[in-house]
Amino acid sequence: MLTYIVRRLLIIVPMAIGISFLVYLALDLSPGDAVSRMLSPERTVDPAKLAELRKALGLDAPLLVRFWIWFSGVLQGNFGRTLTGGVPISRILMERLPATLELSVIALVLSSIFGAILGTISALRRRGTTTDNVLTVAGMIGVSIPEFFFGLVAIVVFALNLQWLPVGGRLLPSYTSYWDHIPNLVMPALVLSIMMTAGVMRYARSAMLDALSREFIKTARSKGLPEWRVNLLHGFRVALTPVIVLIGFRLPILIGGSVIVEQVFQWPGLGSLFVMAVRNKDLPVVMTIALLTVILVLVVSLIVDILTAIIDPRVRLGN
Amino acid sequence: MALSDIARHRSYLDRRFDRIRALEEAGQLKTPSGSRVVRKFMNNRLAVIGLVVFTIILLASIFAPLLTPWDPTKINLRAISQPPSWEHWFGTDKTGRDVFSRVLYGGRVSILVGLGSALISAAIGVIIGCYAGYVGGWLDAIMMRISEAIMAFPEIILVLMLVSILGQSLVNIMAIFILGGWCGIYRLVRARMLSLREEEYVQALRSFGLNRALISFKHMLPNALGPVMVNITLSTAAFILQEAGLSFLGLGVPLAIPTWGNILNVAQDLNVLQNSWWLWLPVGTVISLFVLSVNFIGDGLRDATDPTQQG
Amino acid sequence: MNRFLATAAVALLLQTSALGVAHAQALNGNPLSDVRVRQALAYAIDRQLIVDAVFGGYAIAADGLLPNGPFKSPNLNAYPYDPEKAKALLAEAGWDSSRQLEMVFYYDDQITADLMAVLQAQLAEVGVDMTYHLIVGDVAKTLNSIPEDPKGKSVVTWDLAYGARAAMAMQEYFNDYVTGKASADGFPGASELDELIAASNSSTDPDANKATLMKIDEYLNTNVLTIPLYYQQLYSVESKRLNRNGEPHGNDQFNYDWNIQNWTVEPDANGKAVMYTNAAPIDYFEQPWVNLGLWAGNKLIWAHMLSAKPFLDGVAGGDLAESYVMSDDGKTLTMTLRDGIKWHDGDPITVDDVTFSLEFALKTPNLHGVVASTLNSIEGAAEYVAGTAEHVAGISADGNTITIKFAKVNANVLLSFTQWGPFPKKYFEGVDPTLVQQAEFWQKPIGSGPFMVEEAKFGDFSSFVPFADYYEGKPKIDQVIAWASADGDVNMVKNAAANRIDFAITKVVSDIEAIKALDFMQLTPLDIPYTRMMWINQYDK
Repeated sequence: MLTYIVRRLLIIVPMAIGISFLVYLALDLSPGDAVSRMLSPERTVDPAKLAELRKALGLDAPLLVRFWIWFSGVLQGNFGRTLTGGVPISRILMERLPATLELSVIALVLSSIFGAILGTISALRRRGTTTDNVLTVAGMIGVSIPEFFFGLVAIVVFALNLQWLPVGGRLLPSYTSYWDHIPNLVMPALVLSIMMTAGVMRYARSAMLDALSREFIKTARSKGLPEWRVNLLHGFRVALTPVIVLIGFRLPILIGGSVIVEQVFQWPGLGSLFVMAVRNKDLPVVMTIALLTVILVLVVSLIVDILTAIIDPRVRLGN
Repeated sequence: MALSDIARHRSYLDRRFDRIRALEEAGQLKTPSGSRVVRKFMNNRLAVIGLVVFTIILLASIFAPLLTPWDPTKINLRAISQPPSWEHWFGTDKTGRDVFSRVLYGGRVSILVGLGSALISAAIGVIIGCYAGYVGGWLDAIMMRISEAIMAFPEIILVLMLVSILGQSLVNIMAIFILGGWCGIYRLVRARMLSLREEEYVQALRSFGLNRALISFKHMLPNALGPVMVNITLSTAAFILQEAGLSFLGLGVPLAIPTWGNILNVAQDLNVLQNSWWLWLPVGTVISLFVLSVNFIGDGLRDATDPTQQG
Repeated sequence: MNRFLATAAVALLLQTSALGVAHAQALNGNPLSDVRVRQALAYAIDRQLIVDAVFGGYAIAADGLLPNGPFKSPNLNAYPYDPEKAKALLAEAGWDSSRQLEMVFYYDDQITADLMAVLQAQLAEVGVDMTYHLIVGDVAKTLNSIPEDPKGKSVVTWDLAYGARAAMAMQEYFNDYVTGKASADGFPGASELDELIAASNSSTDPDANKATLMKIDEYLNTNVLTIPLYYQQLYSVESKRLNRNGEPHGNDQFNYDWNIQNWTVEPDANGKAVMYTNAAPIDYFEQPWVNLGLWAGNKLIWAHMLSAKPFLDGVAGGDLAESYVMSDDGKTLTMTLRDGIKWHDGDPITVDDVTFSLEFALKTPNLHGVVASTLNSIEGAAEYVAGTAEHVAGISADGNTITIKFAKVNANVLLSFTQWGPFPKKYFEGVDPTLVQQAEFWQKPIGSGPFMVEEAKFGDFSSFVPFADYYEGKPKIDQVIAWASADGDVNMVKNAAANRIDFAITKVVSDIEAIKALDFMQLTPLDIPYTRMMWINQYDK
């Protein structure tokens, strides 16, 4: 087990480097650079000045050199500065990460709880019953509406017509305690949660159905245990495992998964930062976010593998 | 405990078996004909509804010219932003184009992007997964690494980066979806092949001296197709929604081409959202209905092809 | 005396009979080099219908590049919509109907996509096949690349390009048409036009300039070098809570004498007068020498040397400079700083700050074109930029007075100084001017204007508070909160609908229509020099 973990961890390093390099290469080959994106097409600028700016930003160096400068910085814990504004990327991350995390953690928790409960109910009510169908349809509608459209309609209804909630944004100068911005958080968090609930629900439902058809459930039932005990203590517990795995895999997706919700609700998180950095071709920012998510995904998938092995003794690691 | 209580507490299974016994005694329990998968699928009401809706929307898009006399790109600046009428069922947009015909023709592109990308990525995933999974070796090792690299990115991050690298066009958007989509199916098929490889019938085939491609594609693949079909439906739904999301971010299919995402994009304009419902409600409904129906089909397929779940 | 000579030279130029129509034939392998084809395109487009239908009436059909008003020549041919005439001209020019024209554009919004569909349909009606696509990647390169030899083959594939010029000074409309200047106009150049353009930039006589500019517009009009489509209006969006107290509206894309210190806004429930606006920075404050008056930060934080009349049609008076004198020959400008002016950190603004900033500005990239052309006209500027001189020879200071000597007359010196103000020197010593934007300073700039930065939550909002030592008096508004947004951000309307905008500007038609529906908001149309047009690539193909 230990050697397996060490081996996996060791693979993460070359993979992260390899992926980073490929991404850097691909972004670099596409037309335009950060300097060309700084220009307004409505104005012409002295090309000599632009050449100087490229040089000062280090954009004129060969690809490998630039990649190495960026990467050796990362190795020393220095993510560098944005090309457009010279802002330390670590500072931007520290500013934006809390915004993204609070949004995604709430969405993750809510969608997991509701998804697991609704999925279980749906499975227990048996396939084809009205409850199952209503829950399935309701859950499906959640994943069938384009995210931005859902968000916009929510804004029109709850912020503009009913005026219950703020239209967007996260903080205000008048907010002094952490709790002040909860009203701002409600809509984006709920929209994101609803979009994610259906996925968990479907997983939970099929995992529960799967668990209920297993032998040990039949044994429990034949022992004369009450139905609710069979379902809850035996079935639900078993069904939870794949759900936890799913949630684990969702963790990294949450960083990028809220791109559209952040955009709709003017939420200053990593998603909107990433969209902007991609548009501006601010390579150090794009690379940093990409690298961090890649590492997160690889580590999470390792943890999920280990957890599965611990829970389910039939799984042998290393195959 | 009274007898009536026992009867009331009888479990669902008991009641079900009673019904089956009653049917059997009445001689109505025939040997079912047709594939068990199809039968199980057809018994799933939501899946059947999904299939019907899917077929209607698909056919309406394909036969769009028969259903509407309007050209989706024909502008008419003298009839702009008109509410629905007998002439224009879904009204007209801001350049006087018929919204109904745009939704129909837009469906062609959106379904092509969604279903097309899903099918192509499935084909790629199946071919590589089938072969690499059975044969193993260096091809399998390389493909595993590549798919790990691609899957290490959250989907939207991968798509955003690829759009900025490749640029926006219909073909590029499909290429991006395929590039991100084949790995899932590849790994699924590969895992299935790895376990099937140990089955006795495969070993028997091998001992006959059949070639590896024949064994893997003809004899093993059919046993892995269930999950693949489920995956195709899920990807189709996801791609159609992603297309809409990308056009919201201004990174989707060029606006000149009517797609569901591009048509719905006008909802970003608050004025349209509040005052011109016909510009977004019909197309929004069609997208959701289509995605919903594809998801139902997927669910139905999953239940129908899963041997551990009784129909 | 010199001024008289300059005027005479222009008058002479205006009489030259050579300024006529180009020969009615293709000048190279590109059919668009035939003036008849370009005229046909102009006749084929129904501008008024486009303005009414696509832009909801919130634009004005254009006949020239120069905006309506004092600079409008009476001699322009409006090329009224006439598809028959267009067809006749095309037939005369032997137009090959299998030739497909490629149109490019760089706005990724819905209305531009609609406009492209309309233009395509209107050109199709006269038998011209046009396809269009959005430029992605390196926009500037795709638009502005020209062959080294004006007679050489075009280095870009496009035939038509849709774009705009927003001008601070009218010369900006035409300077790109000079032979050999890499720009999107697609015109290989003509010596007679070059002379006119040079003349328009080198006189300080407004009347002579006006005549020359009109002549250039006529030249472009006669030869259909570019097809003007419409003038875009800027709309000032204000809530009814806001009161300008009689201070004028102006061209809000630039800096003018707007006297925001006199504005008031109804106090909220806590008795605090907060003005909400947009255009706050997303992760740093943009340095104000690039887009001049475009962002909330630029307008609120910075004062300038002089102040402009609302529509930039002259100098309203001094700003940081109490007085200024321009010599008759237009070659020497002296400005005397006010006493007691301070930076937001309380330190005095000195002549030293100004001379340092002038030299610093010369070496920054991305300096606004009009300001750049003014500063580069200073004596010794070229040597300083090239690194052969330690200081700019033409800049000198004496007490509170700065004297700037120009090597060549520049038409927009005063205008430039209404948009340009100094930076506090002590924060920029040791900063590479090329990397000015990347300086830490722009996280929380120390400025000279009516408001100072209190807090910047980047990507969310920025908060500004009144600067007590502002020389025109402490602003009456207690706080300005600006939402972070890019130019033309859709969120402005959402915020306005939720009562979170008291002041904003927009050119976006859908925004204007949505704001119009809100009874607590008011719109004021502002005529600004902003022309949207179709460039024609005439280089050989």
